[in-house]
Amino acid sequence: MPAMARYLTAVLQNRPIAEDFYELQFNWPSQAPAPKPGQFLTIRTSQSSVPLLRRPFAFSRYDHEDGSARIIYKVRGAATAQLAGKRPFDAVDVLAPLGKPFPLPDSETRPILVAGGIGIGPILFLARALHAHSPALRLIVGARTAAGLPSQLSGEYGEVIACTDDGSFGHSGTVIDALRSYLSTTTLSTNSGESVLYLCGPEPMLAGGHRLALECGITAYVAVEQTMGCAVGACMGCAVRVLGPERYARACTEGPVFDSRLIDWRE
Amino acid sequence: MDLTVQIGRSELYNPLGVASGTFGYGSEYEKLIDLNRIGALYTKAVTPEPRPGNEIPRIVETPSGMLNSIGLANVGLQRFISDKLPFLKSVPSAVIVNVAGSEERDYFTVVETLAAEDAIWGWEINLSCPNVKCGGLALGTDPEQVRMLTASLRRLTEKPVIVKLTPNVTDITTIARAAEDGGADAVSCINTLVGMLIDTDRQRTVLPGATGGLSGPAVLPVGLAAVYRVSRAVRIPVIGVGGILEPDHALQYLLAGAAAIQIGTANFIDPSIHQRVLEAIEQYAAQHEVRSIAEFGRLLR
Repeated sequence: MPAMARYLTAVLQNRPIAEDFYELQFNWPSQAPAPKPGQFLTIRTSQSSVPLLRRPFAFSRYDHEDGSARIIYKVRGAATAQLAGKRPFDAVDVLAPLGKPFPLPDSETRPILVAGGIGIGPILFLARALHAHSPALRLIVGARTAAGLPSQLSGEYGEVIACTDDGSFGHSGTVIDALRSYLSTTTLSTNSGESVLYLCGPEPMLAGGHRLALECGITAYVAVEQTMGCAVGACMGCAVRVLGPERYARACTEGPVFDSRLIDWRE
Repeated sequence: MDLTVQIGRSELYNPLGVASGTFGYGSEYEKLIDLNRIGALYTKAVTPEPRPGNEIPRIVETPSGMLNSIGLANVGLQRFISDKLPFLKSVPSAVIVNVAGSEERDYFTVVETLAAEDAIWGWEINLSCPNVKCGGLALGTDPEQVRMLTASLRRLTEKPVIVKLTPNVTDITTIARAAEDGGADAVSCINTLVGMLIDTDRQRTVLPGATGGLSGPAVLPVGLAAVYRVSRAVRIPVIGVGGILEPDHALQYLLAGAAAIQIGTANFIDPSIHQRVLEAIEQYAAQHEVRSIAEFGRLLR
């Protein structure tokens, strides 16, 4: 178990990066273990009882040099609305780092990273971590419309395949459509066993990625999202359906990253 | 001041407990919370067989509270002994096993099997889980069944028997008296209240099983009233639980007549709550010249 703790830290920057999407950058306490791609934190956004529970957010970036970490979030309720109101120097109450990170590929394996909607945060973090070591890395990013895609995507992460549901930018269609066509072209020229998928996004997208991985005989790691209570493995609230006798696993401790073959994908 | 609490023939070194279901089997919080501050650690419910738990989602936030429908998901008696007890042997707190089941025999099995374990201080009998189909709440709402089950368990163990009461009854004092008549050493009140939320867009209940158990500050007044009434209806200690998020909430329970308290949902929210509650108790005691926890109840005018 990675050591986690509660830290009271401070906001450095909180800015919109796409329609409805914000990036919060905050001081990372020097005594805290470095967060890894796939790991998350929880934030208590209010000192009152509304909203009550801490909310989980995946890390989207960590910079050792300036001692800061970031999350990307979407305003969709009272807690995230409060978060969007945070200004530089405001306090942030975090519990971190939590959960299991993405297993990293060996040098022979080509990572293909796929993000849909709010799933972009942990995928960008992973892309940044892998970019130096995996020149063959491919990043596929999707949103409903062009306005939902963060700017400054290209360049930093090599070739980015962008998709929008309405065709207003990049490929028209879902990230899974784009992944399918990308895999079909690359598997002709290379051994498909050398690729590994990393996905984060809405559940239907993760399920689609899982099915594609099975068809191609490659491994897929998915980062799941679930409502959480304690986020440390105590309450059994954030259960995810898995195959096998236990039937459920905890997103907070066994996850949030799972090998897609372990998950029970039935509706 | 003297922070100790007497329950049956045993003693807790301080009145602060962590409520069953919110603290796992202790090890989950080892890195986050100093267990020396915790007088009593109430384990996740233990049933004879492992239980996978209820359908998902299991948790949803409500105004100043949360609903849960975990369904007593737990590792079962054998894995409790092999995987969880070794850590619990090392904790300074009194380890109180929350005992649950779908029928009376399940409760006997758990207590009989664990009776000789020195690491276990006592039992909290869960007669009030709203999220299981049989047993649980059904057992806990009938005074005669509560009395008989408590009496049967009483014969199996020398250790303190605490009966956890449900607020989902017309008169909680009737159930508390039944537990006392059966030989319980204490009662804890309250367990969660039955509640529900509906998603109007999907036209479905948010929890797949429709209802769940409500906890958090929303239930504080209900717990306080229950402790106030029950502590005046029985002679055994009453352990107050329900909605404590701030130190003042804990003081209110002690003034209402609680001999000890449990922190539940707040464990998820504020890892500093335990220290802050203990400091508030000592500070309040000093201000009001209270020498023991038992004296708090006499302050209420």
